[in-house]
Amino acid sequence: MADILHLPEEARSRVAVEERRREPKLGHRKFKRDRHKRIKVAFFRYCYYDPAFKFFVEQVLDADFLTLPEATKRTTEIGEQNSTDYVCTPFKHILGDYVEALEAGADVLVQFGGPCRLGYYGELQEAILRDMGYEFQMLNFSRGIEQGALGWAKQCLKTVNPDINIPAALPKLAATANMAVKLDEARDFYLANAGFERERGAFRRVWASYRDALRAATADRDINEAFREAMDAMRAIPLDKPADPIRIGVVGEMFTAIDERSNLELDEKLMAMGVEVHRMMNLTNRFIRYNEPNLRRSAADYLTYDMGPTSTLTVVAAHRYAQEGFDGVIHAKSAGCTPEIDCMPVLQRISADAAMPILYLTYDSQTSDTGLDTRLEAFYDMLSMKKEKTK
Amino acid sequence: MALKTQPDLADIHVVGIPRGLLYHRYGPLWETFFRELGREVIVSAETDRAVVEEGTARSVDECCLASKAYLGHVASLVGRCDAVFVPCYASCDPRAGFCTKFQAAPDLVANTFRDQGVRVLSCLVENVSKPKEVRRAFAEMAARLGASQVLFKRAWKAGVRALEDARRAKAAAQEETLRLLAEYRAVAEGDPTGATERPLAILLVAHPYIAHDEYLCGTIVEALESMGTTVLFADETNRARTYKASFGFTETLPWVINRELIGSILTLQDQVDGIVLVSAFPCGPDSMTDDTIMRYIQGTPILNLMIDAQSGTAGVETRIESFVDILRYHQRGGYVHG
Repeated sequence: MADILHLPEEARSRVAVEERRREPKLGHRKFKRDRHKRIKVAFFRYCYYDPAFKFFVEQVLDADFLTLPEATKRTTEIGEQNSTDYVCTPFKHILGDYVEALEAGADVLVQFGGPCRLGYYGELQEAILRDMGYEFQMLNFSRGIEQGALGWAKQCLKTVNPDINIPAALPKLAATANMAVKLDEARDFYLANAGFERERGAFRRVWASYRDALRAATADRDINEAFREAMDAMRAIPLDKPADPIRIGVVGEMFTAIDERSNLELDEKLMAMGVEVHRMMNLTNRFIRYNEPNLRRSAADYLTYDMGPTSTLTVVAAHRYAQEGFDGVIHAKSAGCTPEIDCMPVLQRISADAAMPILYLTYDSQTSDTGLDTRLEAFYDMLSMKKEKTK
Repeated sequence: MALKTQPDLADIHVVGIPRGLLYHRYGPLWETFFRELGREVIVSAETDRAVVEEGTARSVDECCLASKAYLGHVASLVGRCDAVFVPCYASCDPRAGFCTKFQAAPDLVANTFRDQGVRVLSCLVENVSKPKEVRRAFAEMAARLGASQVLFKRAWKAGVRALEDARRAKAAAQEETLRLLAEYRAVAEGDPTGATERPLAILLVAHPYIAHDEYLCGTIVEALESMGTTVLFADETNRARTYKASFGFTETLPWVINRELIGSILTLQDQVDGIVLVSAFPCGPDSMTDDTIMRYIQGTPILNLMIDAQSGTAGVETRIESFVDILRYHQRGGYVHG
């Protein structure tokens, strides 16, 4: 799918001859703050978590949240044109999101940090956007990481709002985490059942109104109530679910395994074929309830050490799906994701040991929708034939 | 550790070390350490075409060239040693971490070579900026190898000294070269006839496992030297200084090697005529730092070269020739006054 083996000729060498020197550092820009103007904060588009981001900005940071419309082809193109060729794909998607957010009037962009290339996303994206001529502030959680939560709090005060009422913001921060957990819990139910709804689109409607309700939430109580209502509504949807449906586990890296724009609606494509989908990777399991050493114990035959930011979850999830007798696993990653590439030999062993097929998908910004359809259909056919045989 | 570590690795007598990746950074430490523990050490031979081909066959396609070569080195040690030493270097310091490849390496090797029954000897170094933690990781491994505390202490001391000596010697040699270059430049500038050609110094910026691998980078170094330039290796500049200097360039860069390379550029930029960046395709850290370097390091011409398994030497020489021509033209003031 991703043609990464063939290095484009122009990427092989580049020459720069520039006479003037520039300050070799991305300096901190002082920005004039108008005390009476509310700051508009934008996140990049990430999976189904925008209600949690909105809650964080409005309730914790006490600023305005800028909601982005659905991504278009243009978003990807802008991101691609302004990134280096072989940086990982999420970088390109996010860069496109930022350009659109700035065009829509954002004052502050938010970026996370992480132990892989993600840790450097923020600084390089800030440099690229500034070279493109945009003026803004970046709330980059890679900064201040040495001091942990305190360092991050300082970043929020410095770049977004110096007047945050910290004692009031802390319970709201806990509520933000609760919202992520409640989104993931509802999503898990959705993935397992939406493929078998009697009336097409019933689950999607509930899911959309659930996210609308969460966007309007201002307190923990609202979140819990919206969750209860959504779960009741989803449980009430009539299903045609066979006793032993095809079950597929989706594993992979943080962005591509979950984000529908990046993986070209992998979830929906699988559910449309009548598959029960499971996915351990989400914010809840990776951050809120993450205990890496203990998680790794369950796959001790394959893992001695933590292999990378999402590797343990990827391997453990695949191992667990194998033990639970799933029909197959799909490994979704962006082109060039080093930690996930290094997981592949481990996944290949798990697949061989348990005789459970794994489909490896690598996404870049050029990946075609029809190509993906063909591969998924072929994979589904193989799994259902295998299931028939073993009956 | 509450319980006494069991010497479960005591039967390992011959340790194989693949000549790849971090061997080019920590080699003297590892070799001396195992020798002092009374082990026989086999370092795989220099990289060649066969090693890269073997490694490529065993790797996932998308792996970087350096990682493919590494698996080739492991393959060449199969059957020649009791265990292959593949340490795990993790990134607990967010400003002095490594590519996740080095963290994944032990499990990557163990799973790739499971059918060959390759035994992996490893230790977990979580944070290289804390010498005590690094020492503890090796102490634990030594205990598992059945070495006494006394023996470990001696081996560790010898290993650290070997590493420091090697680094100091290289840094000193580089300083000497820089001094000679400055002298030579002064002579050339003072020559009223203009017949003495001024020297051209090139700073070669690449991960040590690329820069010092004869097969992967040798042609580039040779081509540069045959054009009459002096090549300086960015990774040989004094590390403590370059690491510190890098904070004047970037706040959040997470990789220690890239930090040292950037620090070396900042330190030596005024003393070199051109910079050559060499990256193994598709190197994760370099995919981003090369971009930042090209954006922010200005005033010195830069050539950014990418090497992959197919490219070989073809094209490299022409590109270097034209780059050196640019530098000579530049030196004569071509782009300023022309």
